[in-house]
Amino acid sequence: MPFLEVQDLKVHFPVRGGIFNRKLRSIKAVDGIRLAIEQGQTYGLVGESGSGKTTTGRAIIGLNPITSGTVLFEGKPILGGGVRSRPGFRRDIQMIFQDPYSSLNPKKRVLDIVAEPLRNFEKLSAQEERRRVQQLLEQVGLSPETIHKYPHEFSGGQRQRIGIARAIALKPKLIIADEPVSALDVSVQAQVLNFLKDIQKQLKLTYLFISHDLGIIRHMCDHIGIMYKGRYVEQGTTADIFENPQHIYTKRLITAIPDMDPSKRERLIKFREAVKAEYEQAYEQYFDEEGLAYPLRPVSKTHLAALPEKG
Amino acid sequence: MGNTYADQTAAQDAGKSPSSWKILWREIVRDKVALASLIFLGAVVVIVYGVSLVLDQKQIVTVDLFALNQPPSADFWLGTDYGGRDVFGQLIIGTRNSLSIGIIVTLLTGMIGILIGLASGYFGGTVDNVFMRFVDFFMILPTLMVVIAFVTAVPKYGIVSFSLIMTAFLWMGIARLIRSKALQERELEYVQASRTVGSSHLKIMFGQVLPNLSSIIIVTMTLNLAANIGLESGLSFLGFGFPESTPSLGTLVSYARNPQTLEFRWWIWLPASILILVLMLCINNVGQALKRATDARQRKG
Amino acid sequence: MWKTTARRMIIMIPQILLLSILVFLLAKAMPGDALTGLLDPSIDPAALEAQRERLGLNNPWYVQYWDWFTKALQGDFGQSFRFKMPVADLIGQRMMNTVWLSLLTLVLTYLIAIPLGIISGRYHDTWADRMITGYTYLGFAAPLFIFALLMLWAFGFHFGWFPTEGSVTPGLTPGTWEHVVSKFYHILLPALSMALITTVTTVQLLRSEIIDTKQRDFIITARAKGASEARVYNRHILRNSLLPIAAFFGYEITGLIGGTVFIESIFSYPGMGQLFLSSISLRDFSVVTALVLLYGAASIIGALLSDMILSAVDPRIRIK
Repeated sequence: MPFLEVQDLKVHFPVRGGIFNRKLRSIKAVDGIRLAIEQGQTYGLVGESGSGKTTTGRAIIGLNPITSGTVLFEGKPILGGGVRSRPGFRRDIQMIFQDPYSSLNPKKRVLDIVAEPLRNFEKLSAQEERRRVQQLLEQVGLSPETIHKYPHEFSGGQRQRIGIARAIALKPKLIIADEPVSALDVSVQAQVLNFLKDIQKQLKLTYLFISHDLGIIRHMCDHIGIMYKGRYVEQGTTADIFENPQHIYTKRLITAIPDMDPSKRERLIKFREAVKAEYEQAYEQYFDEEGLAYPLRPVSKTHLAALPEKG
Repeated sequence: MGNTYADQTAAQDAGKSPSSWKILWREIVRDKVALASLIFLGAVVVIVYGVSLVLDQKQIVTVDLFALNQPPSADFWLGTDYGGRDVFGQLIIGTRNSLSIGIIVTLLTGMIGILIGLASGYFGGTVDNVFMRFVDFFMILPTLMVVIAFVTAVPKYGIVSFSLIMTAFLWMGIARLIRSKALQERELEYVQASRTVGSSHLKIMFGQVLPNLSSIIIVTMTLNLAANIGLESGLSFLGFGFPESTPSLGTLVSYARNPQTLEFRWWIWLPASILILVLMLCINNVGQALKRATDARQRKG
Repeated sequence: MWKTTARRMIIMIPQILLLSILVFLLAKAMPGDALTGLLDPSIDPAALEAQRERLGLNNPWYVQYWDWFTKALQGDFGQSFRFKMPVADLIGQRMMNTVWLSLLTLVLTYLIAIPLGIISGRYHDTWADRMITGYTYLGFAAPLFIFALLMLWAFGFHFGWFPTEGSVTPGLTPGTWEHVVSKFYHILLPALSMALITTVTTVQLLRSEIIDTKQRDFIITARAKGASEARVYNRHILRNSLLPIAAFFGYEITGLIGGTVFIESIFSYPGMGQLFLSSISLRDFSVVTALVLLYGAASIIGALLSDMILSAVDPRIRIK
C-alpha cells in the first residue's frame, strides 16, 4: 500500500464571460494524474510554468478544489469532504511555499508565525509554546532569540527556514514543497536543499517536491513525474528518467540542463540542436491533435511513458 | 553557516522592531502641521467634553424672551440667538454632539464596511458577487435625499435613529475599499499557508488578513470622520439632523438661513461655521499625514 | 465596448426597480396619505373611507406599488397637494433651473480645474504649486454649505455684487435678452460657490496625473529625441493626463446632485432641490417620491456614463 496515492486527479477551472457571466469553457489545469509515493521517499514533479504541477500539489493539500479523482493518504481517502471529517490529515500533510516573501505574514512576529499551527492543534501554555518555537527555530538553524522579530528583518534563505519551521511544527508525515528554492539566491539554494534532506532523515519525512529545475530534482528525488499541459508525459525512478528517457519532451528537458564543464560545451550545443530538430520533427508523433500527451504505457516495471501506439 | 547569520541578526536585536502604529505616530510627529492639528483636536475634545459636563443643556436651550438676538457681551460671550439662548453654550454642546455622532457613525460604518468588505474580498466568487451587487445598489442611491426622507419617515426620531440612518447609507465606501485590498491580500501565500496549518477562515480573515489592512482602515476612518461631521452638520443645517433641543454645530449655522441673521447677526452662525471648517481641516490634516505614512514612497523620512 | 454597455444597462434595470420599491415603501412609511392633507377635517369619515377605497389606498402594498410604478413610467406621478397641480408639471418647471445651475457648475469646474491642475503639475514644487495645493487642501476639507454661506454673506450681502435669492428678476419677459442676462447673473454666484469646492478633487487628480506622467519613460524618450518642452506637454503629457479626468465626468454629475440641494436652499434658488426640501417639510409626499426617483435615475445614469467613458478610455477595465 503506497503512503500517498493520487488516482486520476482532475482539476478544472471554469472560464466565465459574456453578458451574464456564464461558464464558457474550462481550463484543464490537471487532467488525469496518477501517482504514488512510498514513505520516506522524495517524489519529484517537474514541468514548465502552467503545466499543472503546482495545482496538483495544492489540490492534494486541499487549497484547490478537486474536480474528480481521489487522494488516498495511508490508504484512506482524504478528500471529497474529508478535510473536516479527519482533522488529523491537516497535521500530517504540510506545505512549504515558493515565495519566502509573501508566505510569511509581514505583520506577524516569528513567534506568531511558527506557533500558528501549534495554536490550532495543541493547547499549550504561553511558556511551553515559546519553548517549542525556540526549539523549532534551532532545528532549522536560526537563533532562538529571533522570535520577536518581523519577517522583513530576515534574508530570503532565513525566511524560507522560518517557513520550514512552521511546516514541521506539527511533526507532519508528508511535506509538499512547491518550488521551495526557486525564489532564493543561487548561493543559498544548495544550503536550503541540503537542509531539507537533513530534516527528512531526522524526522522521517516524505516529500512531494515540485520544481521546474531538473538539476535540483535529480539531486533530491527518488521518483520523478514529468508533466506537460496537465498530463503526465513520463514517470519513473530517477535513473529511468535520466538514463533512459523515452518521450521526446523528456529528452529535450534533460539536454537543456546546463553543464559546468566548458570543454563539453561544443558537444552539448550540437547535441541540443539535434534533439531540438528531432523534437520539432517528431512533435506530432508524440502528441495528439490538441497537443496533449497520450495515455501512459509501461516501459518497464517502474517506468511509464506517454508514447504513441505503434503502427 | 545559517547559524552565524542568525547570531548576527540576534545581536542587532536589542529592542523590538517598530510596529505599524509606531510608524504612523512617527509620521505625525514629523509633520508639524499634522501634529499641531492633532494637538488642537485633542484640546477641543477635552474642552468640549469637559465644559459640557458643567453646562446645563436644558438651561441653555430654554427660550429667554428678554434676551433675543443679543450681540456678544460679558453675560453672553457670543451673544444670543432668536430664542434668547446663549450661543457660546450652544457652541460647546453643539460641538460635543457633532463630534459624538461623527465618531459613532464612523465606528459603525467602519465595522459594517470592514465585515462586508473583508468577507467579500476574502471569499471572492459568489459571496463577493452578491455583496458587491448589494453595495452597487446602495452606491447609486441619492444618499442625501434618502437620508432626509428616512429622517422624516421615522416615527420616534432621536439621536440613535439618526445615527442608524446615517450609518445605513454610508458604509459602502469603506466596504469597497476593504474588499479591493482583501482581494489583493488573499492572493498572497501567507493566507494559503494559514490554511495549510489548519486555521479556520474566520481566524485567517481577522487574525491574518485584517492586521495587514489596519493602516488603510485607520486612514479611511479618520478621513470618514471629517466627512461624517460635515454631513451631520449639513443635515442639521437643512433642518433634518438633530432636533433643536439637541443643538449641533449645523443647527447654529442653520440660523443663517434667515437672511436677517446672515446679514446682521454674525455672532450666531459665524463661530460655528469657522469651528466646523477648522475641525474638518484638522481631521483631514491628520488623515492625510497618516495616508502619507502608509504609502512608503511619500513618507517624509 | 458594446458588451460593457449592454451589461451595465442590464444591471440598471433591477437597480431602478429596487430604487422605486424603496422609494414607494418610504412614501408609505411617511405619516399620512394622499388624502390627509387634501381634505377638510370636518368631512364625514364614511365618505373619506369611500374615497380611500376608490383611490385604491386600501389595496395591498404591492398592488398599490404596481399602480404607482406603471403610472410613473408614463410620467404620471400624481398630484401635489400644495400646488394643486400634477407633480410632473411642477417638477418640469423647476427642472430646467437645476439643469442650468448644474451645467454652469460643471463648466466652471473644468474652467478652474484644468489651468490650475496644469500649472500645479507642470511647475510642481514652485510657489504657484504650493498656493494651488493649499487651496485644494482647504477646499477638500471645507463643507460646501459653509463655503456657500460665506460666499453669499460676503458677495451677496456685504459687497452686494450679486443677487441673494431667486433665479431671475421678477417682471422680465421670458425670451428677452434682459431675461437671459438676469438668469445668468442669478446663477453665477451659486454655481461659482459650488464649482470652487467641487473642482478641488479634479485639480488634485490632474496634478498628480501630470507629475506621474512627467516621469514616465515615453516622456523621457520624447525629450531625448529633442522635442521642445511645449510639444512634450501639449502632445504627450496633457493628452495622457486628461483621459482620467474625462473618465470622472460621470461621477461629477452624481456629486452635483447632493450639492444642488444645499446650494438651492442657501441661495433660495427655485430648483428641484429646494422643491424637495420644502415638499418634505410640508409633507407633500407625491412630490418627494417623484424627486427621489428622479435623482436616483440621474445618479444611475451618471454612474453608467462614468463606466462607459472609463471603458472607452482604459481598455484594462473592459468587461470581456
